[in-house]
Amino acid sequence: MKNILYLTVLGIVTIFGLGSCKKYLDVNSNPNSATTSTPELILPQALTSTANVVNSYNTMGAELGGYMANAGGYGGFGSAVTYSFGTGDYQGLWTSTYDNLTDYQWIITHTEGDLNYGFYNAAAKIMKAFDFQLLVDTYNDVPYSDAFQEKKNLTPKYDDAKAIYDSLYALLDNAIKTINDAQADLDNNASSSVKQFSNNDVMFGGNMDNWKKFANTVKLRLAVRARGILTFNNQYDPVGFLTQDAEVNPGYQVASGKQNPEYNTWGYTYTGATGNRAWIPTKWIASFYNGSKLDDYRGYAILNGFATPSTFPVNQLGYESNSVLSAPSAGGWITPYEDKSNNIGVLKGPSAPMQIITAAESDFLQAEAALVGGLGVDADPKVLFYQGILDSYKYVYRLADGSYDLSSWDPQADYQAYLDLNPDSYLVNFDLATTDAEKLEAIITQKYIAMNMVNSDQGWNDFRRTGYPKIVNGSTSGTATFASLQSVSTRADKLPARILYPTSESSYNNENVPKDVNQFTSRIFWDPE
Amino acid sequence: MRRKLLTCFLLLFSVLFSKVIDAQTVTGKVISSETKAPLQGVSVQVAGSNVGAMTNSDGEFSIDVPKGSKTIEFSFIGYKPQKVAVSNSPITVSLVPGANELTEVVVTAGGIVRKKRELGTAQTSISGATLTEAKAVNIAGGLIAKAAGLQVQGTTGGVNPNYRIILRGNRSLTGNNQALIVLDNVIVPNEVIGNLNPDDVESLNVLQGAGAAALYGSKASNGAIIITTKKGRSGSTSVRFAQTETVEHVAFFPVMQSRFGQGGSSYGYDSNGFPLFSSIENQSYGPPFNGAIVPLGVPLEDGSQDSTKYAGNDTRKDFWQTGLTSQSDFSLSTGDAVSTLYLSGQYASVKGTTPKDKFNRASLRINGTRKIKDGKLNATYSLGFTQNNYNITTQTLDIYNNMLNMPSNIDITRYANWQTDPFANPNGYYNPWYLNPYWEIDSYRQTVRNNYLVGNVQLTYSPTKWLDFTVRQGMTYESQYNKNWNNSFNYTEYAKAASSNSKSDISAGVSDAVNQSTNLLSDAFFQIHTKKNSFSFNLIGGGQWNQDQYKGVGVSASPLVVPDLYNVGNLVGIPGASESNYLARTMGVYGDFRIGYKDYLYLHVTGRNDWTSILPPNNRSFFYPSADISFLASSALKPLQNSNVISYLKLRAGVSKVGEVNLPGTYGAYQLQRTFSQQAGFPYGSLPGFGLDNRLVSDNLKPELTKQYEFGFDLNLFQDRITSSVTWYHSTTSNQTVSTGISSASGGSSYLTNVGETMSQGLETDLHASVFRNKDWQVRVGGNFTYLDNKVLSINGDLINQIALASYGDGSGSYAKAGYAFPVIMGFDYMRDDQGHVIVDANTGLPTKDPNLKVLGNAVAKDRLGLDFNVRYKNLTLAGLFEYRGGYVMYFGGGSDYDWAGTGIRTTIFNRGRFVFPNSVYEDPSKPGSYIKNDNITLTDGNGNAGFWTDDLNRALSANYVSSGAFWKLRELSISYDLSSAVKRSKFIKSATLSLQGRNLFVWLPKTNFYTDPEYSEVAASSNGVGITGISSAPPSRYYGATFAITF
Repeated sequence: MKNILYLTVLGIVTIFGLGSCKKYLDVNSNPNSATTSTPELILPQALTSTANVVNSYNTMGAELGGYMANAGGYGGFGSAVTYSFGTGDYQGLWTSTYDNLTDYQWIITHTEGDLNYGFYNAAAKIMKAFDFQLLVDTYNDVPYSDAFQEKKNLTPKYDDAKAIYDSLYALLDNAIKTINDAQADLDNNASSSVKQFSNNDVMFGGNMDNWKKFANTVKLRLAVRARGILTFNNQYDPVGFLTQDAEVNPGYQVASGKQNPEYNTWGYTYTGATGNRAWIPTKWIASFYNGSKLDDYRGYAILNGFATPSTFPVNQLGYESNSVLSAPSAGGWITPYEDKSNNIGVLKGPSAPMQIITAAESDFLQAEAALVGGLGVDADPKVLFYQGILDSYKYVYRLADGSYDLSSWDPQADYQAYLDLNPDSYLVNFDLATTDAEKLEAIITQKYIAMNMVNSDQGWNDFRRTGYPKIVNGSTSGTATFASLQSVSTRADKLPARILYPTSESSYNNENVPKDVNQFTSRIFWDPE
Repeated sequence: MRRKLLTCFLLLFSVLFSKVIDAQTVTGKVISSETKAPLQGVSVQVAGSNVGAMTNSDGEFSIDVPKGSKTIEFSFIGYKPQKVAVSNSPITVSLVPGANELTEVVVTAGGIVRKKRELGTAQTSISGATLTEAKAVNIAGGLIAKAAGLQVQGTTGGVNPNYRIILRGNRSLTGNNQALIVLDNVIVPNEVIGNLNPDDVESLNVLQGAGAAALYGSKASNGAIIITTKKGRSGSTSVRFAQTETVEHVAFFPVMQSRFGQGGSSYGYDSNGFPLFSSIENQSYGPPFNGAIVPLGVPLEDGSQDSTKYAGNDTRKDFWQTGLTSQSDFSLSTGDAVSTLYLSGQYASVKGTTPKDKFNRASLRINGTRKIKDGKLNATYSLGFTQNNYNITTQTLDIYNNMLNMPSNIDITRYANWQTDPFANPNGYYNPWYLNPYWEIDSYRQTVRNNYLVGNVQLTYSPTKWLDFTVRQGMTYESQYNKNWNNSFNYTEYAKAASSNSKSDISAGVSDAVNQSTNLLSDAFFQIHTKKNSFSFNLIGGGQWNQDQYKGVGVSASPLVVPDLYNVGNLVGIPGASESNYLARTMGVYGDFRIGYKDYLYLHVTGRNDWTSILPPNNRSFFYPSADISFLASSALKPLQNSNVISYLKLRAGVSKVGEVNLPGTYGAYQLQRTFSQQAGFPYGSLPGFGLDNRLVSDNLKPELTKQYEFGFDLNLFQDRITSSVTWYHSTTSNQTVSTGISSASGGSSYLTNVGETMSQGLETDLHASVFRNKDWQVRVGGNFTYLDNKVLSINGDLINQIALASYGDGSGSYAKAGYAFPVIMGFDYMRDDQGHVIVDANTGLPTKDPNLKVLGNAVAKDRLGLDFNVRYKNLTLAGLFEYRGGYVMYFGGGSDYDWAGTGIRTTIFNRGRFVFPNSVYEDPSKPGSYIKNDNITLTDGNGNAGFWTDDLNRALSANYVSSGAFWKLRELSISYDLSSAVKRSKFIKSATLSLQGRNLFVWLPKTNFYTDPEYSEVAASSNGVGITGISSAPPSRYYGATFAITF
């Protein structure tokens, strides 16, 4: 009898235990990471990630587009000098851009139709268009309409590159309208609850006119690049195009992961160790500064060691020999200003803002549009051409803190000197360019120079689209072409046409990823034969 | 909840305590009928109860017999069991050699003691003495090759090697496959096994299959290793001291060429066509050695010039020093009628083969039992504390790698005094690309302190003969203090310029982390055992509550301000900081029913339901059953009962289903939701910024389900002179929880979901024979053989058919691939014709790389054989253990580096000249698609640092670095001399032993593997990505030492 009692007691304990079971087990809420967020928190991170993305594209463009060559003291460049790309080459571009886009898409999804979050919604759309253009210009067809469905579609189909361009243009129009609607509500409705950007707009500090200028400029970039293939409405918000550099600065500082990304890659890391020294400037790009093609004081500001031609470390891509000079101890692009944390040139310092689209690029885009006509830009190409060169000087000579050292690095003076030093070249003296082809060559060549280690990928895109700056096909001279000496390219110019889709797509989206893509023959839709 | 439970138990026990029942203590001695020598370790059991004891080294025992019990059973391996009536005066029992299997008991799941004959599933018992035969500091090291189906893989070298412990192959694709470790009936984290004093182990029982372990809950699908620590012995007191000194030598180095020194074709060619020497080059593509004195490096700032003899040397080997392990043991065992006590302490200190690497480990243990209320209530407790300390360099991989890259004309040992010798100082060190290893050793350090407190208390109340209640609380507390730091170095401007700026300043950094975890395991169960007619019944029912909790914080800083002050406060800029917390709970209720018929047929069924906190609420409850049957043919069948040949034959079979939750991360907690985190350097000052993390999670995660069946037999012949055991098992695991890669365009980069199925099946056999036995001699030989067929059946249909478990940058590595062995090595090979010949270009003689990742072989041993012998002549015992593993390949990822460096032996197989690519063909120009054997088209450039050997056509071909993983090892060899007879005259000394022992003394590898120990792994022991070996730790070692043990 007593035993039954014991069993009963044990039974009660067990049942009691099971009764509290749910409470006992409901301990799985995450104390380590957030599981919700807001557009206010996502936007600054997404913009800063875009700066990192832009840095990666700059590297790709600099390596393929003639700005960079292999440095002495390093080996194993492999496909970087042969162009025999595998699907692993540059695959970080794909993943980092889509990763960044996932954040913008989150903002769009969570703010769509909500006027109060109109500015956030519009900014995310503008940046989505910006990012997708980078993708299309690199890969041609990419997943767009099926993308970001998460669990609903793990294998998104690929959209036609031209259709994506069309959608991006429309997306930008939609974003501009959204900004205007939200702005009107703010202006006209006393009880408006439209959320304005605070310091979390790390690109324009809440200046919505600049956002619209940025959108206009991306629209122009799309239109110029797709000229002759796609037709757009060519209507722009009256605020116009970018007249200042669109730059991101969340508060870059000397700390792990918090530095200006380009400076961190090619300059110094936060510990003071030098960054990547496996690459140095090409003889090709140097020829646009050292008098071999053009004379340009910007060379002193951008290229480390430029002042002493005998020891200036430059190389021709693919030339591997013990005699190749190694990069200077500060790397190839930190020059000559004393204070490496507040410098001029392209690596201005660890806390310098990161350029997204520069005013110079905006000028040259407009110049090209004005020259060819029909793109909604009605202006004198010559004026815009010179404005572009001047804006490039202003960009390059500006210190990290935004100021100028006018005693030694006066952009206006050296711009003038540039015109004086190269009076006989139609690449500088626009009046000497007599044909439209020469005019276009002048514009694109100056843009190519302005993009040197700024947005090198844009220089590479323009070369593929226009063939400028001109190269001599098949030449082995480092100033006549920037093609690698070890190129296995089947093309006459010995250059690649593109990089390949990443390994992750053939592994995880094999049904949809375009097959038979060849880095020499598969061109981006705007790249003529 | 926990508190409520506790209150309930207290209440329950205050009720139970009120009942008092008497018991009687019986003492005595057990000797061998043959030799009259006392027998140690004899199991003494009160018939029909769970009350048991063991004899001590003098053969003495003391046992408390509950009132009403009349018989005591004695059983011992190699002897016939005996039953003796309970008596008030001390009894002497004389055991006769012969069969014992009928009564031998083992600890099974839940800490329940069972007779072996009742068990329908495979298990292997290993005694503490067998485990410590070769004095491995880590228990896992002592387990190698000692049980069929058990794979212990020493994945690293170093001062405290890591081991991967697997039973019956891999089941989970990316989750945990390691055996469950149970210490004194409490589930403990796997690290505990490496931090136990091996001398504390009484016995170790390997439950190979999921079925045997099912009662332990969902963690048991990988089988279990049940460790029981020593208890004090009633009726005698002994104190033991032992001292072991072990020497460690590096046993194996990759085979490197020693004919050509530094230089290469980029410096030009000499008149013989050999590339030129270069004093700064790191690649060994220079001219052949000629013994001349040549300069080394560039002149120093003061003009002095380092030099070396241009000849190959072996100093890469001399760099590693002789390791020394010193192990001191103390233990005390005592007991009286009502209580026993076991105390022990051990201090082990290790000096590693890497200079200045040190490790020590101190362990303390207290185990006790006490009988209360005349034996109706039994209390047992055990508490073990271990602290270990590492003081090691973090750069062992880098150092080893640098030296294997280093031209063999460099005498590395000359650069030890970097503080005083200008050529050894980083400024003057000859090599601009690699640091002086001696400087690295001093400048990159790590100190780690781990504390482990593992304890449990248990109360068993037996109100009547047929009923027990047991409650048990176990706890494991771990804490770790981890500090990493590195020194700075600022080069002189001269050194920077002279090295073309390859020498660049190094800044100091420090990181410090503290973490702790507490695992609580509460058990409460009842057991009813009764007999009726020819039937016996045993019913167990109970519940288990498990809580795992972790907390960790870490800080880091770089660069630092004040030299040599490695404190996070001493920094420039902003320190890094991190925090993580985890909590997971599981509860389960279980039942276990065993029915026996006439002591020869047993049917056993179990069922358990678990609820876990880490799965979605709708999937968090899952049930799993098991059943097994045991049939003693030798007792049941008349012809066998009287057989002179067959002394024991048991047939057994079992089937089980076990669910295991295998979510990634610590305890699998918090994996169900997509997370946001500060990314891209955020926060910047007061500005926060969050981004979506990249992992998507299925809404419907479930446990992985392992279904297993096994059958086999245990057969003893000729009065147990030959014992054998054979088991076949088959197991499939479905619902694999895998984080698969997905297209980034989908809005994430990985997806955690249930996909895929794996299978493992195999044969486990064991055969031992006492081939000769008389008064002076005893010769016992035997071994175990395991065959394993481990496969991935499917992953995720068309979407994903392979998962990289561990891979290098080019994608080659260890994979799970549907339809193939699990895991397989995948990598790149040459384009080949149908017959497997390499296709070369008809003009250049160059092969072509096949761009597709191919399966290059399975990565886990299919066949494993352990052979042991034990020869005793009077007081002298010689024991040894060999192991063979075969039927698999290994991939040495470092091989490509050494071909690049020109130190790899492959680079000289054609004497650095032109050669015809071996076993090659070229396309017939007149008949495209058909191939002609190539015996005349040579590769143009077989030399120089831009020739074939440094080219991707050699180095990017993983197949060039894949070799057979087979090996034979002499794992253990020991000679011991029992001094007991010599010290018998002494009144104080009970026994003394002197022994010599060695571990991993010899390894025999196939000629194709000139790289490393195939057991080694580039990845952590917990990773399933085995098969890629490397040089991620110090080179493999052999150990030999001596022990003196004395017992008072």
